[in-house]
Amino acid sequence: MLESLESSLEKVFGFQTFRSGQKAALSALEAGQDTLAVLPTGAGKTLIYQLYGYRHAGCVLIISPLLSLMNDQVDRMRVAGFRRSAAINSLTSYSERQEILQHLADYQFLFMSPEMLAQPQMLHRIKQLNLSLLVIDEAHCIVQWGPDFRPEYLLLGAIRTQLQQPLTLMLTATAGRSTREEIARQLRSTPTIVAESVDRPNIFLDVEQVADEPAKQVRLTQLVGQLQGPGVVYFSSKQQATETAIGLRQDTGVRVAAYHAGLDSEDRFKIQQQFMAGQLDVICATSAFGMGIDKDDVRYVIHYHLPADLESYAQEIGRAGRDGKPSIAILLYAAGDEQLPLFLGQANRPEADTIQRYYARPQAFSEEDAAIALLAFYRRHGISETAVINLFTRRERERNRALAQMLAYVREPHCLRHNWLQAFDEQSPAHDEQCCSPAGAPVDLAQLGLLATTRTAPTVVTGGWTAQLRRLF
Amino acid sequence: MEAVDLLVLLDSQQFRRLRVIENLLRERKTVSTLYWGQRYRLLYLLGLAKKMSRGALDLPAQALLQQGLIVTGETPDQVRLTPKGEQQATQAYYQPQTRDTWTRLDLMAARQRILLAVQVTSQYAHETKRYYPLATDLATRQAVRRWFHQAKGQSLPGHLFVSLKTALEQLPEMVAEVVTALFTGYQQPGQTVDQLARKYQRTPWEIYLMQLDGLMQIAQDAQDQNHPLRSLLQSTWQSPVSRSAQQTLAAVGRGRSLEQIATARRIKPSTAREHLLEAAILMPVTAFPYDWILTPEIQHAFATALAGPIDSWQYSALPQALQERYAFFYFRLYAIWCDKRGVERA
Ligand SMILES: [Zn+2]
Repeated sequence: MLESLESSLEKVFGFQTFRSGQKAALSALEAGQDTLAVLPTGAGKTLIYQLYGYRHAGCVLIISPLLSLMNDQVDRMRVAGFRRSAAINSLTSYSERQEILQHLADYQFLFMSPEMLAQPQMLHRIKQLNLSLLVIDEAHCIVQWGPDFRPEYLLLGAIRTQLQQPLTLMLTATAGRSTREEIARQLRSTPTIVAESVDRPNIFLDVEQVADEPAKQVRLTQLVGQLQGPGVVYFSSKQQATETAIGLRQDTGVRVAAYHAGLDSEDRFKIQQQFMAGQLDVICATSAFGMGIDKDDVRYVIHYHLPADLESYAQEIGRAGRDGKPSIAILLYAAGDEQLPLFLGQANRPEADTIQRYYARPQAFSEEDAAIALLAFYRRHGISETAVINLFTRRERERNRALAQMLAYVREPHCLRHNWLQAFDEQSPAHDEQCCSPAGAPVDLAQLGLLATTRTAPTVVTGGWTAQLRRLF
Repeated sequence: MEAVDLLVLLDSQQFRRLRVIENLLRERKTVSTLYWGQRYRLLYLLGLAKKMSRGALDLPAQALLQQGLIVTGETPDQVRLTPKGEQQATQAYYQPQTRDTWTRLDLMAARQRILLAVQVTSQYAHETKRYYPLATDLATRQAVRRWFHQAKGQSLPGHLFVSLKTALEQLPEMVAEVVTALFTGYQQPGQTVDQLARKYQRTPWEIYLMQLDGLMQIAQDAQDQNHPLRSLLQSTWQSPVSRSAQQTLAAVGRGRSLEQIATARRIKPSTAREHLLEAAILMPVTAFPYDWILTPEIQHAFATALAGPIDSWQYSALPQALQERYAFFYFRLYAIWCDKRGVERA
């Protein structure tokens, strides 16, 4: 007889009670039911599989699309006391991979990228393991379509079948009804759904329409200069994040750094730790930022570019105000901003006639082209031409729907929260002045208590390098 | 790398090939790259930017060209400083003090190990149980774990502090500041290279060179019996010559001919020759058996046939009969031998 979930929680983490959603998800898993947990960022999703892994013999296999952050995840597992954890992805060196493969059966938690798992030899090795649980992290990636799209996620259904349908936990921070259905369909599962409200009443929602790009820059500088930090500004491009960080540093005097997947792991580590230690006021980030961040007092999240869908948006603004104190999510919009996500989405999407021509004569095409590489990938995995055309058509439709929904949010005239929650099939509380400010409506930052009261002076290092070195030890 | 970082790698007399510098940085160790790396006195760059993309020096070179600081030679790939460029290149730019020894250490591995060891010891000194370790590869983590298991104890933090301080005191104040600021440890996330570049108004590459200089100094000190990092860094010392080339060289030492060696080791004779050239370039002049291979007869033949500065020598310009008698290998080895003895012209 297994001990109760609460006893395990107490033993492993020293907590008395679960956060909402955790217990429901664990109970469903304990009952042998596949589970789709839609829990907001910061709700403690990892605890679910950590605790399940602790309670059951065998290996918990976590599929995660975030290559660059996978090692961070493993570190976090180790910090939490789960030492038998490892990650295998394309960034893992050959020798390290060999080392892990030699001891594969010894690991309690294995993180793997979908493309690694899609390799036949790897799949063969995984089949020999005693899997207690399969976790699909960031499960909304199955549905999302953008520059970060990973075609391998679409193979997960077939892979899951090959692994004899192991008990599966699908995790995502945000998923509306159609996304949930698509996740379940792709993974060939009928999961129990555990969903918490995505609403964050302490985050004031604001959409600001600006005339054009220069006006947007001006407004951003103004906001960063006025708002109480710490804050995060999200961009769709690494370059823009980097350049704006430089500009903001010069114009506002606040301590700013850029953060994106193009930085090496040492820089990512340092910037993340500086932000957590309060040595930075603002991070100019791409969507790569956020996962490793346990920071409760982020006061604002500004979006410089239009996110591709409301789900990503909800996830990113969810990094504000975890301490429950007043915070704000601002979306800056200039007419035509929707062109960027449209363009990014189309970047490696092949046309229907390209698909037909490719399937007729694959050898005539170069896989250097990202779109062709995608087709080659599907073809090698035995997916038929018709299935691929359907897939792209459906995906295209889904993406357009998601973008239209995002635009509807931007153009919402009355209540942003109502618009947002409706997209997740949720009821919203009545609108008041603490709720939101749609485009065109004035927003009184002072009234909301969001203006900077104190500017933290830059940390003064005293005593020269010897003293600094001394303080380390 | 920015334009100024490239500028200081160039010369006003010698045309230098951008591709050679790029290949050194990316650690593409062909004999040609190594030979020219030696001729440019830039072998210390070997493997300092393994992830640099191909053609990454083209933009900085273009900038230098536009500012009139360099001119190109016979091909656009060959560049040389103009008088104006030479003047700029002599302005304050940090020249690492320890760079001549860089190829003797796996500096990248040593760097990872020192940074993680400092973090681990710092957190240990402050009795922190849970913290995020720097992201490093498995080999580094294992090496540091083994080292720490055996080195930990009350005196370790103090001992390490004194050792690091002693190493950094041998370098300019600013380098000591930079190396210290880049460390990660208890309540000190550490600065990034870019942040320090901004603070000191230097390029990120120059900051990186300062860090490597500091770390090399630490590694050198750690050869001492009582240094706390001795066992951690011992295995990062390496011969710059590849294992395979060392084996070929050893066989030559046993009196075998190149053909015999090639047959015995199942390599092509041309590969055996490349091994020897690699070893000759990367080893001190006294450690290579030049006299065995370059017989007095060969020496005399080349000394008579060649004229002018080394860099102008061309195998294809030698008399046909000489080319038939002596392969390119002997020609190249002769040039290396001259270079190593400081003979700059025939
Ligand atoms: Zn509202």
